[in-house]
Amino acid sequence: MTCDSVSKLIPLYFYAELTPDEEDRVEQHLHECRDCAREMERQRELAAALDGRQTEVPHRLLEDCRADLTAAIQGGAPRREPAKGPWSLFLEALGATFAGMVRVRQPIGALALIAVGFLSARFLGVTPHETSSLSTAGLAPSGEVFSTVRSVQPDPGGRVQIAFDETRRRVISGSMEDENIRRLLLAAAHEENAAVRVESVDLLKNRAAEAEVRDALLNRVVNDSNDGVRLKALEGLKPFAADPAVSKALAQVLLTDRNDAVRMQAVDLLVTRRDDSTVGVLQNVVQREENSYVRLKCEKALKDMNASIGTF
Amino acid sequence: MAHDAAGAVGARLSPQVDSLIRAAQRGDQDAFEQLVRAYDQSVLRLAMNLLRSPEDARDVYQEAFLRVYRNLHAFRFDCSFHTWLYRIVTNICLDQLRKRKVRKEEPAVVETSEGAIDRMEAFEEDAAEADPERSMWNLQLKRKIERALEDLTPRERMVFELRHYQGLRLRNIGEMLGTTEEAAKNCLFRATQKMRSVLGDFV
Repeated sequence: MTCDSVSKLIPLYFYAELTPDEEDRVEQHLHECRDCAREMERQRELAAALDGRQTEVPHRLLEDCRADLTAAIQGGAPRREPAKGPWSLFLEALGATFAGMVRVRQPIGALALIAVGFLSARFLGVTPHETSSLSTAGLAPSGEVFSTVRSVQPDPGGRVQIAFDETRRRVISGSMEDENIRRLLLAAAHEENAAVRVESVDLLKNRAAEAEVRDALLNRVVNDSNDGVRLKALEGLKPFAADPAVSKALAQVLLTDRNDAVRMQAVDLLVTRRDDSTVGVLQNVVQREENSYVRLKCEKALKDMNASIGTF
Repeated sequence: MAHDAAGAVGARLSPQVDSLIRAAQRGDQDAFEQLVRAYDQSVLRLAMNLLRSPEDARDVYQEAFLRVYRNLHAFRFDCSFHTWLYRIVTNICLDQLRKRKVRKEEPAVVETSEGAIDRMEAFEEDAAEADPERSMWNLQLKRKIERALEDLTPRERMVFELRHYQGLRLRNIGEMLGTTEEAAKNCLFRATQKMRSVLGDFV
């Protein structure tokens, strides 16, 4: 067998998809030919690198899918509307805006403003009550009750005992000055639902002067899985780029965030301050960054600080 | 290499699955639900791995099992239920992948679709803190892998997914995709070559 024909069979050999006869001949050749054995090694390494990419399905997603299906079958129609909700439209708008950021920087503010207005209106409800606390005046049970049945036990008398947990939805409204509202928003910034997180962070971002809010924003910018949330949190941290904790988080974002738009925002904030302590990070980024906007920004900042672009 | 349980489960449970199918065909809702639960995790994992978006995976799940629900009466046991189900699922996924290829040509949307990928992978950020050097390498490798996978045609992507991640045999994959084992072999070979050329320096 020639090296050429063996190299064509290596992927199939690796996946055990050859006939026993072919397999035998490839094995024989690999035993004798170092170049082809090296090829086989590379095939193994490729497969190992790809193994790491497999995603775990979040348990919650499976539950949601099953619930969707049951609802669709029982209701005779899909429960989920194929039309896009406001959340996905907002995310798309955000994505599209940032994708075009390098070319047209002007309209971003305008679009963000519309989105902010729309979201705050939705989050706070339509009636601006003058509530200052979570007392009865501010709390209005909306009548929506969600039950989860924990056990069902028939008794011999033909009756049934059902234990269930009840969750009641309540609506409160109040101004951002209200401490209780802020507390709820801080809690909501960690909610599982990404739409709730983005709305909360969006409202909190103008209050980053408060240490508690700033901490929450720092936490979100580094840990949130949602691009929209991280972008909003970055916006809120803008005026505090000089704060050591903020600049540390910015450096981390710049080095590890997977989203180009987030890294582009982070670099803008980090380079506004000409601070020697950022030189190491910037040099690191210049070497590894794939996004040319981010890289050029770092190079320029290093030049302005009279620092060398490479590390020696 | 990951070996998916679905095929094995399907084969091992064949008699039970057959009786579930017959019951579901007679309109037994419980049987249908059990049937779904025997396969839905692997279906969802397939969709998630291919599309990298929980929203899209959810759509695939819903559409696939609704089609199963509507067409189960027509299942005649002339192939395994697993193959029949995966024919439906792979068709829906291929459609989604093709739609994405078309959308990709509009540059503004690229960021959005990458956003979906990023959202999903963020849980790995914890590791990034521990060792920035290592995580930077992993991050670049990950980006390269995404790029390499994007270079594949939807069909190559599908064959690779089913063979590498789901551990199915090429003969079976050919059957699911309505093609021959030989064509599936060629697809797998092309996919591997393309990825090796993109990932050359990394692996």
